[in-house]
Amino acid sequence: MMKMRKLLFLIGCLGLFSLTTSCQNLADEIVSEPPADVKTITITMVAKSASNPVFLSARAGAEAAASDLSEKYSKLDVRIDWRTPFSEDAAEQAERIRNAVQDGTDAIIVSCSDDSILTEAIDRAVESGVPVMTFDSDAPDSKRFAFYGPDDLEIGETIMQEMAALLGERGKVAILAGSQSAPNLKKRVQGIRNAAIQYPDIEIVGEFNHAENPEDAIAKMTQVNETYPDLNGWAMVGGWPFFSESLLNQLEPGRYRIVAVDALPVQLIYLERGIVDIFLGQPTFMWGEMSVRKVIDKIFWQKDVDEINQMKPIRVWKDNLGGWSRQLRAWGYEDISREYLKM
Amino acid sequence: MSEHQPHTTAPEDRLSFGQKFSYGLGSIVNNLLGGAIGFMSIVLNVGLGINPALVGTLQAIPRFTDALTDPIMGYISDKTRSRFGRRRPYIFIGAICVGIVFALMWQLPSGHSEMFYFWFFLFGSILFYLFYTVFATPWVALGYELTSDYHERTRLMAVMNFMGQFAWISLPWFYAIMENDRLFSDSVQGARTLAIVIGVFVAVVGIMPAIFLRERFANRKDQKENASPLKGLKSNLSAFAKGLVITLKQREFLKLCAGTFFLFNGIMLVGAFSSYITIFYVSGGDTDMGAKYMGIFGSINTASTLGAIVIVTWLSSKLGKRRTFLIATAVTLVGSLLKWFCYDPLAPWKVLLPAPLIAVGMGGLFTLMGSMIADVCDMDELETGERREGMFGSIYWWMVKLGMALAFGISGYLLNATGFQVEMGGAQTSRTFLLMRIFDVIIPATAAALSIWAVASFKISEEKSYEIRQELLARRKNNTATLPAD
Repeated sequence: MMKMRKLLFLIGCLGLFSLTTSCQNLADEIVSEPPADVKTITITMVAKSASNPVFLSARAGAEAAASDLSEKYSKLDVRIDWRTPFSEDAAEQAERIRNAVQDGTDAIIVSCSDDSILTEAIDRAVESGVPVMTFDSDAPDSKRFAFYGPDDLEIGETIMQEMAALLGERGKVAILAGSQSAPNLKKRVQGIRNAAIQYPDIEIVGEFNHAENPEDAIAKMTQVNETYPDLNGWAMVGGWPFFSESLLNQLEPGRYRIVAVDALPVQLIYLERGIVDIFLGQPTFMWGEMSVRKVIDKIFWQKDVDEINQMKPIRVWKDNLGGWSRQLRAWGYEDISREYLKM
Repeated sequence: MSEHQPHTTAPEDRLSFGQKFSYGLGSIVNNLLGGAIGFMSIVLNVGLGINPALVGTLQAIPRFTDALTDPIMGYISDKTRSRFGRRRPYIFIGAICVGIVFALMWQLPSGHSEMFYFWFFLFGSILFYLFYTVFATPWVALGYELTSDYHERTRLMAVMNFMGQFAWISLPWFYAIMENDRLFSDSVQGARTLAIVIGVFVAVVGIMPAIFLRERFANRKDQKENASPLKGLKSNLSAFAKGLVITLKQREFLKLCAGTFFLFNGIMLVGAFSSYITIFYVSGGDTDMGAKYMGIFGSINTASTLGAIVIVTWLSSKLGKRRTFLIATAVTLVGSLLKWFCYDPLAPWKVLLPAPLIAVGMGGLFTLMGSMIADVCDMDELETGERREGMFGSIYWWMVKLGMALAFGISGYLLNATGFQVEMGGAQTSRTFLLMRIFDVIIPATAAALSIWAVASFKISEEKSYEIRQELLARRKNNTATLPAD
């Protein structure tokens, strides 16, 4: 009987040893060299401008998704081919798309500086067998298979709803509208006007276009403020005036209710000082992250991808300034105040 | 202050390492079975597309049947008289059956409707929990009766708890294994194969305690039990109810239950919070970074738990179980409070600092509690004349499982109460983060304090335990039963 028990004990120990060895082999298998039939997919990324931090954040998102997918699926090796011009230049973007196709890229993701110039380049790429997806700024008449970005009409409506809440649904509001030729900005302005119909006691004094830089935006604001001394609020389809610190000493906190699109690190001081009430921040990291995943769904997994993939802006106000700052840092932004990160 | 003069365990009371190891194998199986379904159930949603609400229902319903069957199985095992004992036959049969059921319940055929999978898995789960109870309840009870020595019980529970940790280490890897595209075509196929591996492991390793251990009370004939427990149960349900009531009236046992309930569930309740705070507050919504810190935290916690088991066992032999438990729990309380200062977005690594301290209480909990319940079983025999390890063990673990279910249920409501909105990612409001941090610190710290309060008045000291033993020995000598070798 004792011998039998010893034998069984030995068998048990051997069983455990075998199991441990099997687990070790399994672990080795999982972390060993990639298999021979691994498929490398190169995705060319053409954003609007390499000097704009929002696109560097988008690049970080694309690279994070590529790394994550490559790590998760052993037979997939995703690489990001960054071909973004230093400053905005639609013709340069088109040229880079053509070059990428010639170099044998597998897919292209692009944020269009000017869709009228880029549509042809996108169509050529697609006709050459290279699928193209747009993000942030679309080329709706092109042959791109999908777009990821905001619903600009809805953003405009949200701006007006926030403004109405801040003003108690009563007062005079000006729209800072940016470039008159930018289709996405025009849609946002339209959204503001559509939503304003719901608030009969809110008067829109006008929409004011300007070149999309801080100096021109501030000049336009100053002019309008002088023209309408009883103005109560600013509905801004972009956050251009707050890319410089010039307004910090010019605008009295609380004098105007301000709702603006974008919430980049340089703008956050206006929120902290109470000059701006609400920013609608865009999850720029997701531009790259989501686009890469959609491309892989389309060309590797051969799944159906929705043509329009809506990105929801994130409401940023004083209460979540700390959280938003940390989120920006996680998305690859630098130069964020330590004070905000500690909030 | 007799706890300062520890007794030395007599050689005849010592269990060999082989015996402790054999019992510990049951712990690996027990923990593996307890955690595997939860860790693999994600496949039901991700792989088969079953609605998450249905998956939640699938996990909840068998728990209710499990809650009912646990004390019944404890009663049946206590009342069983067979040539193989009261525990070992059930452990042997239960391990084989639960292994087979586990392997089969994951062989989900492709191409069926959501409701087909629901009923298939529900039926499998109920059967699984039934056999899991048949295995686990007598196995737990067996641990309480393997030795009559105050300190040897702690050492046995330490080996059991130590070995059981290896199951918890392996569980988080299950999803990665099932999802690995080098091994399986998809996660459903992965689940099928993994379930067979686990099933075989459970069936083979789970029977080891039944084969290699001997029951001390297997042949006692000094009590009025039926040879057929099922017949006894059927004919005398009131005896079962009476036993249940007596067990629940045992004050020292209730103190241990309360101590465990507070400490264990206090930590479980905020388990999700710690993850959310690490990802969304400390890491600013960077899930990769958050996952990295959580992974390191988990590793430190596991290593510290293993270390704590060793330290707690040694300390217990010097100070006694109650004092050691109070010290270990106090360390966890300090660790919980320390979290307030260690959630720092500017220095994310600090999140790791409380891990070793929090682990001490958890390492000590299931080492000391098992040993202390065994002491309670002796006291209960002195009062009732019966050995009812099965009943005590089943009610204790029923309470632990109930607490866990409550903790998981409440944690969702608590998270909602903070105002957390998942679509905001890391951009939650300061108030939300503040409430999350307050809950994460206050709940486990308060629970640890309550646990200390509950166990502080536990009366079975080392001295008392030896007195009880002497009395039991004297009483058994007067009986005509075939007594265990105490």
